[in-house]
Amino acid sequence: MSHTVLVCDDAIFMRTMISDILSQAGFEVVGEAETGREAVERYRQLKPDLVTMDIVMPDMGGIEAVREICREDPDAKILMCSAMGQQALVVEAVQAGAKDFVVKPFQPSRVLEAVQRILG
Amino acid sequence: MDLSRYAALFLTESRDHLGACNQLLLDWERDPRATEPVVGIFRAMHTFKGMAAAMGYANLTELAHRTENLLDLLRSDPGLANRELHDLLFQIVDALESGAGEAVAGNDAKLEFSGLIGKLDHASVATQPTGSWAIPARSAEPVVGVTGRAVSIAIRPDAPMRGARALLALRKAESLGTVAAVRPAPAAFEQDEFDGRFSFRLESEVPDEELRRLLATAGDVASVELSAETAAPAARGAEPAGDATGRTRQIRVDLRRLDALMNQVGELVVAKGRLAELVASHGSPDLQALSQRISRVVAEMQTEIIQARMTPVWQVFDRFPRVVRDLSRQLGKRVAFQVEGEEIELDRSVLDEIGEPLLHLLRNAVDHGIEAPAERKRRSKPAEAIIRLIASRERNVVAIRVQDDGQGIDREQILQRALKEGLVEPGTGVLSDDQLLRILSRPGFSTATTVTDVSGRGMGMDAVFSRIRTLGGSVHLATEAGVGSTFTLRIPSTLAILRALLARVGEERYAVPMMSVAETMEFNPMAATAVQGREALLLRDEVIPTVHLRERLGAQGKRAVGRRPTIILDVGGRRAALVVDALLGQQEIVVEAFDSPRGMLPVFSGATILGDGVPVLILDPAALV
Repeated sequence: MSHTVLVCDDAIFMRTMISDILSQAGFEVVGEAETGREAVERYRQLKPDLVTMDIVMPDMGGIEAVREICREDPDAKILMCSAMGQQALVVEAVQAGAKDFVVKPFQPSRVLEAVQRILG
Repeated sequence: MDLSRYAALFLTESRDHLGACNQLLLDWERDPRATEPVVGIFRAMHTFKGMAAAMGYANLTELAHRTENLLDLLRSDPGLANRELHDLLFQIVDALESGAGEAVAGNDAKLEFSGLIGKLDHASVATQPTGSWAIPARSAEPVVGVTGRAVSIAIRPDAPMRGARALLALRKAESLGTVAAVRPAPAAFEQDEFDGRFSFRLESEVPDEELRRLLATAGDVASVELSAETAAPAARGAEPAGDATGRTRQIRVDLRRLDALMNQVGELVVAKGRLAELVASHGSPDLQALSQRISRVVAEMQTEIIQARMTPVWQVFDRFPRVVRDLSRQLGKRVAFQVEGEEIELDRSVLDEIGEPLLHLLRNAVDHGIEAPAERKRRSKPAEAIIRLIASRERNVVAIRVQDDGQGIDREQILQRALKEGLVEPGTGVLSDDQLLRILSRPGFSTATTVTDVSGRGMGMDAVFSRIRTLGGSVHLATEAGVGSTFTLRIPSTLAILRALLARVGEERYAVPMMSVAETMEFNPMAATAVQGREALLLRDEVIPTVHLRERLGAQGKRAVGRRPTIILDVGGRRAALVVDALLGQQEIVVEAFDSPRGMLPVFSGATILGDGVPVLILDPAALV
């Protein structure tokens, strides 16, 4: 059975791109969220194997969402998607419980490597 | 076993661990549900308990033990801790810190912790999910030195966000065993300059090969080096970052020894200069060769000692987070305090001198700089203010910035006060940042509308300035209404010996620190221009006001006509052209302690004795630009 993924990003463009990369690699994108709050709610409903999380989103940012999700499920496997120059935020996200990160602009190979590491 | 031999070591290491507790408590408070801080404090407390027990300090051990038990309960759910509990833990850390000093002085038996232990018991009950009164008993464990492996990890240099990657590797390690002595401190990971190399000690059952493989799964790991390690842990900072292989051997040296050595080398530098002069005027070639050799050796010696005295700024910065926290709480303000560049090094004596000025600037930032949460909300700023303390290297000086995102300094209010006190010409318009700074640095000029016990009395802004100037440094201010203020201190990284340009005016010689000399040129009065009634010269399209040292010092004689040598001074971007009678060349000078006599012109920062035994005053460039 293929792994399920929840893709969280406020930009449709980014969501589409990540979904494409992951679907082509055989993952099943089961849901999308465009705010942190939505990400938390969708996680509760869907219990996906993997979450990709943008850092900056309206109505609860990605880091806050990571914190919230990990509080309910410490084993949640969350991959942060960050822009260049957001190292401090990525560090914060890792401290909050994110398991790995990729830096935009995405190279599909790097995204998949990170996903493999997380799902190991 | 004679324990007194270990007392000093116990004391320094305790401070390291308890200092770490303070930091972690702050982290915990900021993020009450995070487990890392609790786990970290638990570990530090455990180590401290072990050391105290080994020293035979029963009372200290008891308090640490009880605290550890409570932390053990909280590890599974840090969110159970409330504000009172955090406060209690802060108190305990303070008590242990002062208690450690007392114990070493032989007063462990007199330590009285029953009040704190009572509160601890109470808290433990409140925290026990079962509501049981029982506090889990723990037999005193034997103290073991840290055993395990030293692990050095390098993140691939081309990897994005090496710091975040390093943190992932560290978390991986934490999932495999107990991690200690992380160098550099994880706080450094967030710095863009972090090169991706770090090390730590790991106690874990996982075999070498497996460990290598697992750590590499953090991604972008270039190499993992392991080595067996059984030595007792070195105190924090005693080891240079990136070297946990145990090959660097360290000793602790009393600072006074280094001071004495530095003074002796200072003397040697002066004697060397004199010798070189004598040999140059009437020495044989043999003597000249010998003199040159001595010069080289002395120079190397000097470099070594200066290096030995260099100390990372965190040794002073470490106490600030706690100060800022306590103060902001007391004033009902919310502050995120961020520190950067903790690993930057300064001469120990310089470092000792800047603690107080920085403390003053930080207090000012909390008290006057940032607004109360309600006010911030009104201005649609985040309720939590940000105060940053940033150290960075700028050529041969170290810059330390205290930055707040508060309301900025009220130019109008300062202007009114300055007008009333006659500090500025009537009719002065909007004050520039420089003018503002000059007014604030006047002795006795305080802007605190009400005197609190925080600021408004005590070390004033003027004291900050004179302290920094004595160190040969400068202060710079940038402030914007509604956006915040930044004070920048620029300080030479080492004090005792500096390169100076010697200049002559009349019969007197003066030394100008090279760190403020941008270049030298010739001043041609015919080519001088005037800007706003002040004489100035043009240098590559830049207008630089002139300062005639002769007039400034009130020296005898008239301003010379004709071309004159001129020193272009640069202090943090502010420039002046210092016109002198003659330039005498560069020289190393040993700065002597200097008490400026009353009535003396405030343009000198110190004195030195030249090779020929004649004392010479050192000019303060910041007072001239």
